[in-house]
Amino acid sequence: MANKLSRRDFLKAGGLTLLGAAGVNAVSNIVHDHDKGNTKVLAAPAMQHGDHDGVMPNTVGEVDHEKNGFNPTDILTDFDYGEVSTLPNGQILREYEIVAHNKNIEVVPGIEYPAWTYNGRIPGPTIRATEGDRIRIHFSNGSNHPHTMHFHGFHPGVMDGVPGSGPGGNVLPGESFVYEFDAEPFGLHLYHCHSFPLARHIAKGLYGAFIVDPKVGRPPVDHEFIMVMSGFDVDFDDANDFYGVNAIPFHFQNHPIQIKVGETVRVYLVNILEFDLINSFHLHANFFQYYPTGTSLTPSEFTDTIIQGQAQRGILEFTYRYPGMYMFHAHVTEFAELGWNGMFEVTE
Amino acid sequence: MTQQPNPTPRFTFRTLVLLLLPIILLAGVIALFLSTGGGLDLESAAPVENLNIERYNLERNMIELHVRNTGPEAINVAQVVINEAIMPFTITPNTSIPRLGRAIIHINYPWTYGEAYGINVFTSNAIGFGVDIPVAFETPQLSSATFWGFTLIGLYVGVIPVFLGIFWFPALRTLGRRTMTFLMAATAGLLIFLGLDTLAEALEFANEVPSSFQGIGLIGIGAVATFLLLDAISKSQTDTSGDDSQRRLSVAFIIAVGIGFHNLGEGLAIGAAYNVGEIALGTFLVVGFIIQNITEGLGIIAPVLRDKPSIGRLAIMGLIGGTPAIIGAWIGGYTPSPFLAVLFLAIGAGAIFEVIYEIAKLIQKDTQREAMPMTVFSGVLTGMMLLWVTGLLIK
Repeated sequence: MANKLSRRDFLKAGGLTLLGAAGVNAVSNIVHDHDKGNTKVLAAPAMQHGDHDGVMPNTVGEVDHEKNGFNPTDILTDFDYGEVSTLPNGQILREYEIVAHNKNIEVVPGIEYPAWTYNGRIPGPTIRATEGDRIRIHFSNGSNHPHTMHFHGFHPGVMDGVPGSGPGGNVLPGESFVYEFDAEPFGLHLYHCHSFPLARHIAKGLYGAFIVDPKVGRPPVDHEFIMVMSGFDVDFDDANDFYGVNAIPFHFQNHPIQIKVGETVRVYLVNILEFDLINSFHLHANFFQYYPTGTSLTPSEFTDTIIQGQAQRGILEFTYRYPGMYMFHAHVTEFAELGWNGMFEVTE
Repeated sequence: MTQQPNPTPRFTFRTLVLLLLPIILLAGVIALFLSTGGGLDLESAAPVENLNIERYNLERNMIELHVRNTGPEAINVAQVVINEAIMPFTITPNTSIPRLGRAIIHINYPWTYGEAYGINVFTSNAIGFGVDIPVAFETPQLSSATFWGFTLIGLYVGVIPVFLGIFWFPALRTLGRRTMTFLMAATAGLLIFLGLDTLAEALEFANEVPSSFQGIGLIGIGAVATFLLLDAISKSQTDTSGDDSQRRLSVAFIIAVGIGFHNLGEGLAIGAAYNVGEIALGTFLVVGFIIQNITEGLGIIAPVLRDKPSIGRLAIMGLIGGTPAIIGAWIGGYTPSPFLAVLFLAIGAGAIFEVIYEIAKLIQKDTQREAMPMTVFSGVLTGMMLLWVTGLLIK
């Protein structure tokens, strides 16, 4: 408001001061009477929980999961162990077919985003193997941009999937490449496209989780969930407009994850959010054991909130004591209200 | 004349056909273009959309946006984000808004008095259209209290200063002819300043008018039409009565009309400003405001100082000049519309410039009897400087 002052501004000022003198109080009192009359009913989807006259951020409507080709709830437990065979040396071989292509994804109800995907879904398939297995990825590029697959983990330079590392570092449209390496070390990792411009290639949807189980295995639990935290910059201003877990904002707010009292839950949590420096995870009414990067079988922390920078990830383990609806969300609250908010529905 | 085969042109069937021929051909060209694209590749990478958020309305726990689609095609409203939170909303009459169609978006939102809000409306093509609420407070609704409030604003803004200026009439009457000419020149100076100001305001509002309504063109239409209409009225009056005093009286009335339109525009601006919360405080501004606008009353009476207009006539001129501020405040306060603001301000500018033209003619008549070039020069400059300096003191 402290910009140029025109005669009109000056008149406004004068006039409004006079209105003040003339009794704005009377004005606002009258306006208050209008409150009672017309309370409008919202077309908000289900799952407005808690305080009932409280308003909660949410999207209007539901995205078409079928048309999108994936459902965030299904992704939670969709672990891809690949086509399994045994190599002559006795090593387990896991083979995967992964295609990158352009695909319009309805990221929030009513808005289709021209995404780039691995196998038509965001996040891409959750690749899961045991420490020491041989991973062989038949990657083909069905889009009209060069793409790659860059895995976090041990592997030779030519398998790194970055420009300059050989043919695997720049897979052109219509071409393909086979990435092959041993799954090491054990832990929770990720993969993503590493083509230039990198931020855009990741933000458009080319990322996924890569789980390497320790040889001894992790203690058995009742539920294992994969949660990939990301966002969408739908207007291409290099700032996210929407946030979520497994791509779709508010999905788990509108479709709570069902668990039972006393059940053990393990969450594989990956942050691949572009443009924002950090992301976080906060669990309500509970605490969890946290295993950063999952590379140790001993938890580093017992907490209810953790922060992850880009490409950081970790494993959470917890159990609910009481039944009820429990929120989990980014404690970067801005992200929460722009979609990164979900619920656990805990029953007896 | 005698050489011409058709001395009296007649409208024949042939004329009709010849008139229609280009139109029929035009229709053909358009049809061809629409069906083939005319050889041009006009596919755009992203759809062109334009959503004008014309105004907002705040009630307790509710924000209402009035939007208009000013883009070339229909728009679908997909999501609404308020201060970095996606909010559920309802929209009437329909999520899909046709070209130039309007819709109202309701959002239940617990906004807080005095805080600022940024709203982003996303269309289905992921194009966001934003509006800022700099200071949130309940939008005044039509009621006797707000009605009286806006009336008071208009009274202070327009009526009182104009009448205060008119009260100089008895004193100024005692002045000599040369001083009266000086005052007329000063009035012309005042009006030139006001006219430029009105035009600038119209241009400012024109930026807020949806592009399809062509704000700048609207200014041209409003200003030129008003100028020519007032000129025509003034000429027809001169034709019926050659009486100089009658002529001066009609000029005074036209000045009152011009200033009236100017004040109408100001009323609109103030009403609209009140609605969007642009409230600046400081009572000294009010005092300065009355000082500046008192000159408007002076301007109205300047041409008739040497005559004896009745008090009733002076009062009517004061009302013509002042009350439109009240009407403007009502319109601006209840249905702020940049379109109307541009139109009224353009009419005001046209009226003011026509009045300057009339005064120039009156001054010319005076100077024909007695040359006083410096009086005119100093008068016009004094008028302009008066507004400029009072503005300087206040701002």
